[in-house]
Amino acid sequence: MRPILAIASTTVGEAIRRRVLLVILLIGVLFIVVAPGLGILSARSETTVLRGFMLGVTQGVSCIIAVILTVYMIPNEIERRTIYTILSKPVQRWQFLVGKYLGAVFSLLLMMAMMSAVMAFVFFLQQQSKNVGEVADLMKGPMMYFVQMCLLAAVGIFFSTFVAPLVNFFLTIGVFLLGTFFNPLFQTLQENQNTVPFVKLVAKGVNTFLPNFANYNVQNPIINPTSVIQNEGRYYLGITVYGVVYISILLIVAILIFDRREV
Amino acid sequence: MAAAIETKQLTKSYKSRQAGTINVVDHLDLHVEEGEIFGFLGPNGAGKTTTIKMLLGIIYPTSGEGFVLGKEIGDMDVHRLISYLPERPYYYEHMTGLELLKFYGSLFGITDKDKFVQLLEKVNLHRDMTKTISQYSKGMQQRVGLAQSLLNDPKLLFLDEPTGGLDPIAHREIRDLILSFRDEGRTVFISSHELSEVELICDRVAIINRGVIAAQGKLTDLLKGGRIEIVVEGVQEALLSDMKITDANVRTLPNGFMLDMPEENDPNSVIDAIRSQKGRVISVVPRRKRLEDLFVETVSSRGANS
Repeated sequence: MRPILAIASTTVGEAIRRRVLLVILLIGVLFIVVAPGLGILSARSETTVLRGFMLGVTQGVSCIIAVILTVYMIPNEIERRTIYTILSKPVQRWQFLVGKYLGAVFSLLLMMAMMSAVMAFVFFLQQQSKNVGEVADLMKGPMMYFVQMCLLAAVGIFFSTFVAPLVNFFLTIGVFLLGTFFNPLFQTLQENQNTVPFVKLVAKGVNTFLPNFANYNVQNPIINPTSVIQNEGRYYLGITVYGVVYISILLIVAILIFDRREV
Repeated sequence: MAAAIETKQLTKSYKSRQAGTINVVDHLDLHVEEGEIFGFLGPNGAGKTTTIKMLLGIIYPTSGEGFVLGKEIGDMDVHRLISYLPERPYYYEHMTGLELLKFYGSLFGITDKDKFVQLLEKVNLHRDMTKTISQYSKGMQQRVGLAQSLLNDPKLLFLDEPTGGLDPIAHREIRDLILSFRDEGRTVFISSHELSEVELICDRVAIINRGVIAAQGKLTDLLKGGRIEIVVEGVQEALLSDMKITDANVRTLPNGFMLDMPEENDPNSVIDAIRSQKGRVISVVPRRKRLEDLFVETVSSRGANS
């Protein structure tokens, strides 16, 4: 366990010093800070716009950070030869990969926690009622986005074991977009009686293998109080377990590939 | 003496669309004894780093077998007893020298801070241990690399171009450190282009070219075949020719002759014979064979044959 934690903490140390990530994070924080001023641009309730905008920024920025963080992770270690000094020590390849993944997750946690803290603070100041419960309700969004980003990071790490960073960047983004938008399309196809059975079958296959990122887009009930998730706690637990299982499968396959890869 | 490294017909092949199967390392038989400094030489692309990576278990051989410290390559137990310093290494720049050793130490489960400081003292970096790696010069980075390679008190060190790109002072420091490793009973496997450096510190060498071992053995044996040049005056050429020295050449100079003969011959008997004929010996110059000569000879002859 010690080598995994050492690799993870070094990965965090590197990530929080990467200027590109810090700039993206700073832009995200700035957007959240200026968000209260955007309420006037919409006819909807100011609080609704504020919630929606801040959650959107948090998710978008986290997504970019997760992708940039993971697509270069393994190729950089190979290119800079750091992997050789590590793997020549009593460190198994799976420990290296898991350490890198955990490092990415901790880095995401730090960066997302920072954005969420700023978001909570701005929202609290903007509230007329100063209702802490509403702030806590708002935080459910970033919490579920965090699980979503952990899943996205696993996709990025998985591809980084066998494709170049640029290809990986588009692949990971592509899987994220498909995983976000395919599920509603799949539901429509399933419910539509005119859909050809073969198309239904293909759609079912794709839907089974593709990570369902749409699960974690819980902003609607947060933004709009009339929209409610039935049995909320159970739902959040269920999608968290789904995420953990999916991440585990991705990491196991990534380890199997990386174990045979010539670095 | 026990073998620190032993390979038998070790081969690494890659498939290429244009060239078919390419043997980067081709049926390599290598023997490195414990406690020696072994130089692994070869031109760029000869297969040196590929061989080291196979010995470290980082890449997998296509065929053949290899043993490191008596165990099959890739055995994780061996990784506790060996260390590796890659060519032009990169270390996490945000770390200080001390933090870097802590990180690599943690991979072995070593947490003793005194040990880290001692190692930094050994490589003369203790005064700079709180500076970040980004503030280190090339030589300092190489020295901190050597310090990390000593963390586990290794029996066998793999050093890939340890003095590449360093200034003469850093060269000397690294060379002295490597010599101290042998004094401590460690085996050192050096891959290098710095032939003069290798000649100074290595006990045995192997020259690899296009994946094949072209020469291997003790430096003293491989560098046999030097010559001695004796310049004389006041004697007839016939005297020199009549000495019947095998493989000797006599060249005429403006004021005398130059006798060029293999170093196996005793120069004293030649000098005595010249003096007995009232000749004068102007100079006796031993022309020792250099590793560079052997390297160029070996590499170019294989290049010409292929």
